[in-house]
Parts: sequence; structure tokens; C-alpha cells
Amino acid sequence: MRISVSSSFPILRGLGRWAVLAAGLMAAATSIVASSPSPALAGAAPGTTLVVGSSFIIRSIDPGRTVETTSNMINHATYDSLVTFEGEDLKTAKPSLAAEWKISEDGRTYTFKLRPNVKFPSGNPLTSADFKWSFERVKNLKSNPAFYLDPVQEIQTPDPLTLVLKLNAPNPALLAILSSPSLGAIDSKLVAQKGGVSGPEAKSSDKAESFLNNQSAGTGAFILSSYVPEQEVVLVRNPNHWRAAPAVDRIVIRNITEPATQKLQIQRGDIDIATALGQDQLASLRNVPNVSTRSSPAATTFYVLMNNNPDVGHAFSNPKVQEAVRYALDYDGILTIAGTGASRLAGVIPTGFPGALDPRTAFKTDREKSKALLKEAGLGDVKGQITYGSDQVIWGVQMAVLAQKIQADLAAVGIQLSLNGLPRATALQSYRDAKNQVGVWSWAADFPDGSNFFVYIPGRTVGKRAGWPEDASPAAKELAELARKAESEVDDAKRAALMQRIDKRIVEVGPYAPLFQPAVPVAFRSNVKGVTFHSVWGLDFYSISK
Amino acid sequence: MNLLGYIARRLLLLGPMLVGITLFSFLLSHAVPADPVTANLGEQAAADPEAVAAFRQAWGLDRPLHQQYLIYLWNLARGDFGTSISTKQAVVLDLRQRFPATVEVAIVAMAISLIVGVPLGILSAVKRDSLVDQVTRVLSLVGVSVPVFWLGLVALLVFYARLGWAPSPGRLSAGIIPPTFVTGFLLIDSLREWRMDAAVDALQHLALPAFVLSSYTLGMITRITRGSLLETLGEDYVRTARAKGAPNLTVIVRHAARNGLIPVVTMVGLSFGRLLSGAVVTESVFAWPGLGLYAFRSATSLDFPAIMGVGIVIATIYILVNLLVDIAYGLLDPRIRVG
Repeated sequence: MRISVSSSFPILRGLGRWAVLAAGLMAAATSIVASSPSPALAGAAPGTTLVVGSSFIIRSIDPGRTVETTSNMINHATYDSLVTFEGEDLKTAKPSLAAEWKISEDGRTYTFKLRPNVKFPSGNPLTSADFKWSFERVKNLKSNPAFYLDPVQEIQTPDPLTLVLKLNAPNPALLAILSSPSLGAIDSKLVAQKGGVSGPEAKSSDKAESFLNNQSAGTGAFILSSYVPEQEVVLVRNPNHWRAAPAVDRIVIRNITEPATQKLQIQRGDIDIATALGQDQLASLRNVPNVSTRSSPAATTFYVLMNNNPDVGHAFSNPKVQEAVRYALDYDGILTIAGTGASRLAGVIPTGFPGALDPRTAFKTDREKSKALLKEAGLGDVKGQITYGSDQVIWGVQMAVLAQKIQADLAAVGIQLSLNGLPRATALQSYRDAKNQVGVWSWAADFPDGSNFFVYIPGRTVGKRAGWPEDASPAAKELAELARKAESEVDDAKRAALMQRIDKRIVEVGPYAPLFQPAVPVAFRSNVKGVTFHSVWGLDFYSISK
Repeated sequence: MNLLGYIARRLLLLGPMLVGITLFSFLLSHAVPADPVTANLGEQAAADPEAVAAFRQAWGLDRPLHQQYLIYLWNLARGDFGTSISTKQAVVLDLRQRFPATVEVAIVAMAISLIVGVPLGILSAVKRDSLVDQVTRVLSLVGVSVPVFWLGLVALLVFYARLGWAPSPGRLSAGIIPPTFVTGFLLIDSLREWRMDAAVDALQHLALPAFVLSSYTLGMITRITRGSLLETLGEDYVRTARAKGAPNLTVIVRHAARNGLIPVVTMVGLSFGRLLSGAVVTESVFAWPGLGLYAFRSATSLDFPAIMGVGIVIATIYILVNLLVDIAYGLLDPRIRVG
């Protein structure tokens, strides 16, 4: 899961007479210095500038070290990968720096033909050696994106325009993985001079991060011009780019952490695109003149976790109680909190991926059945605690509001939950340590493939956090086996069928209640065209015009 | 001289106090039941023991706690505040970039509080129970009690979104190229280069956040001035001054206000720290890239070197401002002698 959170203060509502008082307090004084918003005066940059409001989630913009939401968006503009996905599509990989590719019959060898005559901004030509160097660096830095290359056993470069990847086992998700901005081609000659290391010693001897945080070294349509942490990222057009020139010359991405401020700025036209709004702000922007809104489905699942380990989960480790929770939740009400564009989930794989279940087959609220199941469980009063990040807002959805809704829904069938809202890092720690009795969390895809969500399988990342090891039960063991089979199944139809079976089984026997798939709230000035928000890298600046 | 000796002693005390502050912030931030690995590594990397080990080694988190602290102190003694885990820049550089932004607002906010608050408080005391007094009392109460974050958003809504008097949040308009970073204070840096466009723009951007930030201090200073002055206006020496026929203004300014302002000076010292820490919320609402946002982000991502750096800077300022306040006492009231 990428770290896709932002903190926010509650949103103000209802101004009333307090506004008049506050206005009186400040009116006289403000008018002393502030006359009118200053127009772009002398010193303004020439050409078309696109100003984007964002809530920065950037740990680094060195592709070898980052998978965060904002850095993915920047790196998608400054680096090109072998393949890519168009717009918001999650299904069909399209050529990018690889003009074409071939997959061997056994699914273990991928041969990519690189596009000829592509140059880095430094003038160095792009070759397969750059990809080999970049991939090895990602792998050996042992940082956030290193896991992407786990399936790759060997990288060969038979000639400057041919790249061969040999895999440990067939992996149909490979093309989706390779689209990641973290796996873009880095100008290896330049970056090696600046301290970049790709060998096994990279994790301690690579010194290129500060260079790459100030200057990009990719073939993308834009070049990183400046990065001031927590303030601003400026990108400028790459004159050496291999496709036609992008429509905008300069992109200024500003860190505006408060969603209400972003809303006011898009309303006034001071920013062109707002990407960190709350769901309620998007609703109120819908009727504002000259502002367009968009809700782009995100490859993320929101779910309730019930710990299957009796020592942690207590009553919630009982399968009957888990099922009772699934029937007790008021999914329509929860969808209202999730906002426009959000959709129900029948399983844990978001719709849009092959293998996802039809949302119409999702659990329906049935409180009577829920009560009956609780009775069957025979545990008397069911009490517990729900843990969540109290300051966490994911794609405009406030986790605190969601937790309160779950508390109220379960109270309706007699389950008493107390709220355990913690600061993000603390809540996350308890979740990662498998210490949540009940929790409400989300998982975001790191690459556009349904197999991302195998984390819910017993014994895997989320499975472990839910106290659900592979040997928990025969059903758990069977699920783990099925997942391994699906991962190496090269036939698309068979793979989709297997994934569907797995997804269905997870919600039947797993300690989860899938809630919804969210939609990213985006607002933009109506003169801005081509705005799409991809689940992995967000805005594609190349296709945006103004 | 007595005063100089006093200042020297107070400055010498700064050292041990700062060590105490580093120890306190170090222990406090390590007492948080969360691991920097959790806050800084993605889900996949955090599940990979090799990635976790590489992270711990890179940031020295694999050493015992006391060693980590001693290494920090040793580096600090040589002026090295370490590198921020989040920004990957030297903490000194981070602080240097953000500190002026926060101090700029804090100073303007303090100036507003004093320039508006003191006369208003005096007026209110002199015209006790008049309409002016009533309005002032209500307004100062509002200033003290209204949450800054709410006030900030309302101010933006009214003056920026509706009326269009205030410019967009941030320190400069998007079209203005910032002046070369010398002091970091945009106003000074712009004027150094005779960039009037940037100077005017910076001043306009400063106005609203400074007013919002000043709301509490302004209210407090008005109330304290009023209360204190009411007390001194009833003193014998004020009556004496009036009896000897001194003009009303002279009585108020020279006799009553000079004594009545001593509590206000204390308030200034205490409030300055509050202005710096209150900046977290104001900076968030106004997208102001200052120390407040940096502190908040550092704390939430358990960026230890950054947390310690912010702690040291804020504590030093707090101590220095209070030292100035103590010195100011002596100048205002000859009965109080420092030393």
C-alpha cells in the first residue's frame, strides 16, 4: 500500500453571526495593506503555467526510494517506464519506452525492444543498459519500491535496444508492475557520476538521492526544476522529449494541506487543479461556475478487520460474530460517507480488475440475520474496541467518521464497540503488529493488477495483521494454495476465474468486512482539459492542456 | 556591570537548559508507541526485514537508545543538527528555510497586538463602562476564545474568497519569482534587490495570517492593559498627579501607563512562544511553509532529528525573549533591579 494520507482539521460549517464578529475584528486592519490580489507582475515566467494544489506525501523523489502518492505523480511526469497505462485504465499495458515486447510461452522470459533515438535531457542516448542499471539500483537500495522487482531473477542486455527480463516464476502481473514510475529509466551515466550505485552495496553506498531530489534524470515530458520539501515542486517542459511537446510549459505543484483552503483557491482560480479535497468539499464545488469536478475510481479497498487470533480478537475471532458484523453494517449509509463515485465491494479486489466480483453480489444489510448469528455464537454480550487513524483522511474520506458509523451500526445489533482513534503512526503500528481487535483500514494498489490484493490471503501482509495465518484452518490453507496457483497462471481467463474464486472465499471465511472502493475527488478550472486521475500515479501532466 | 553580568549568567544557563530540552524531546519522541519504520516505510518495504534493517542502519536507529542520544549530542556540539528523515536535507538547512517564514508572521502578529491592543486597552480603561469599553471587552474576549483554525478559514472565506481583498494563501503569488534567499524574510530580501513587486506581494500575503495569528495575543494584551491600567488609575500617585494639575494625557501616558504596562511586557514574553507554536494551525490554513507545519510533519512521521531541531530553536527563542522581558522590566520600573 502506498502511503496515501493527509491530515486535516475538521471542516467549518455554518458561519452565522460569528463571521460578522470576526469580520469586524479584522476588516479595518486588513484594508491597511491588502488592496486586491496582485496580478502576475514583473518576473513572471513565460508560457503556460499549470498550478496544482496537492497535499504532499513525498518521502523522496528519487525513483529508487519512493512509492508515495505525490512522488509517483511527479516521477510519472519526469521518468518514462517500459510500459504505461492510458488515462485511468487499469487493464491494458501500452508501449512507452518499450516499443514492443514478447513473452515466452512459459511466461518466464520478457523481451522488450526499446524505442530508438530517445535521449535524456543530458543528451545521453537511452539504452537497455540504463534500464538494467536503474532496475538493479531499485533492487539493491532495499528501499520502498524494491519489492517490485522480487519476481525478476536476471536482467540481460543483448544489445543497446533489447532488454530481457528472466523471472523466477511466471508472473502475469509483470507488465503492470513495470509501469510503476519507480521503475522508470534513469540516465545511468549521469547519475553514476553523481554518486549513484546500482550494485549490491547500493543500500549503504548510493549517494545520488540529494542529486535526484533536485534534478530529474529521466526521459519524461517534464524535467524537475526545483523541489522545496513541504512547499513546492516545479516542473518544466523537457525539450528533448521523444513524443510531441506537452501543452503546458511549466507545472507548479503546491503543498496546500488544508482541504478547505484548496477549495477556496480553486474557486478563486488561483490554482488550476485541486487534488486534496474532502468528499464534502467536492459536493459543494459542483455548482461553482468555471469549476469542473471529477470522481475517479481508485484501486483501493476500505475494509473492517476483525482479529482472528482469539488472544487479540476475543469475541471477534469467532466466525459467527465476523459474519454477524458483515450483516450488521449499513452499507448504503457508509457509501454516503465515502462520497460520490465510491462503489460497493463484493470482495477485496476493486472493480476494474479482472477477477473482481460484481458489486451487486455484495453483502446486504440484514440486522435480523446478524442478531440470529450472534445468538448462535452464544458468547453473550459482544464488546470490543475499534482502532483507526484519527487524523487520517484517505482520498477525502475521514477515517474517524467511518469508525463512528461502524460503531453505530454494530450498536444496532447489540455489539458494543469503543472508539480507539490514534495518530496515524501509532494506529498503523498497532495494525502492523497485528494488535487491532477491530480496525478500519484501506489498501491501495501499488501497480494496476488485482494480485495486489492477495495481501488479504491468510499468512500474507494483511492476513497476518488480522491474526489469520496459513495454518489457521483448512479453509485458510486452501486459500493460500489457490493464491499461489493464480499468481503463476498465464492464461488470462483461467487466472480471472481463479481470482474470482479466491475473492469470494475470502469474504466468506476471512476476518474482514469489505466496505467500498473510493473515488478520488478532483476539481479543476473548466478551461483545463484532459484531467484524469490514475490510481497509481494520479494526474498525467502530459495529457493536460489549458 | 550588574546587568551585563546578569545577562552573561542567563546566557550561560542556556547551555544546560538546551541539553535538558534535547533529552526531554528525545525521550518523549521515543516514548511514542510507534516505530519510525512504520511512519517512514511503505507497507511492502516495512514487511521486508532487509529493507527495515537498511532503514535502521541508515538512520542509526539500530544502536541502543543512549548511544543514539550521545551521538546526537556529540554532533550537536559541533553544530550538526543531523539530517531530516523526511526531507533528506540537513535539519539546519530545513530550519533556516522555514524559520524566517514563521518569525515574519509572529513579529507582525506581535506588532499588531501591541499597536492595536495597548491603545485599545488604555482607551477602554480610561472610558470605563462606555460603549467603547463594552465593544472592546467583547472583541477581546472573542479574540481570546475563538479557535485560530476557525478564524483563519472564516477570514479566508470573507477577505479572500468573497471580497477579494486578501491575496491567495501562501507567501507569494504564483506569478512572482521569489527574491534570492539571503535572510529568508521575503520583505527584506525583496527590498535588498529593489524588487518592489515581490515586497508588496509578500506584505499583502502576510497581512491576513498575521491578523489571524494575533487574535489571541491581541485580545489578551487588550484585556491585560485595561485591567492593569484600571488598577494604576486608582493609585495615590495618579491622584497626586491630577491634583497638581497635570494634563489628562500626561497623567495617563507618563504616570499610569508606564506602570500599568509591566504586566503587558510579561505577556509579550509568554505570548511569543505561543505565537510560534500557534503557527502550526495558521500555517496549515494559509499554506504557509513555516516552522509550525515542519514541526507537525516531523512529529507525525517520527522524524527525530527534525523534532529535536525544532525543539531547540523554539526553546532558544523562548528563553531569549524572556531574557529580554526581564531586562525590559528594569528599564520600565526602576524598583526592579535584575542581577
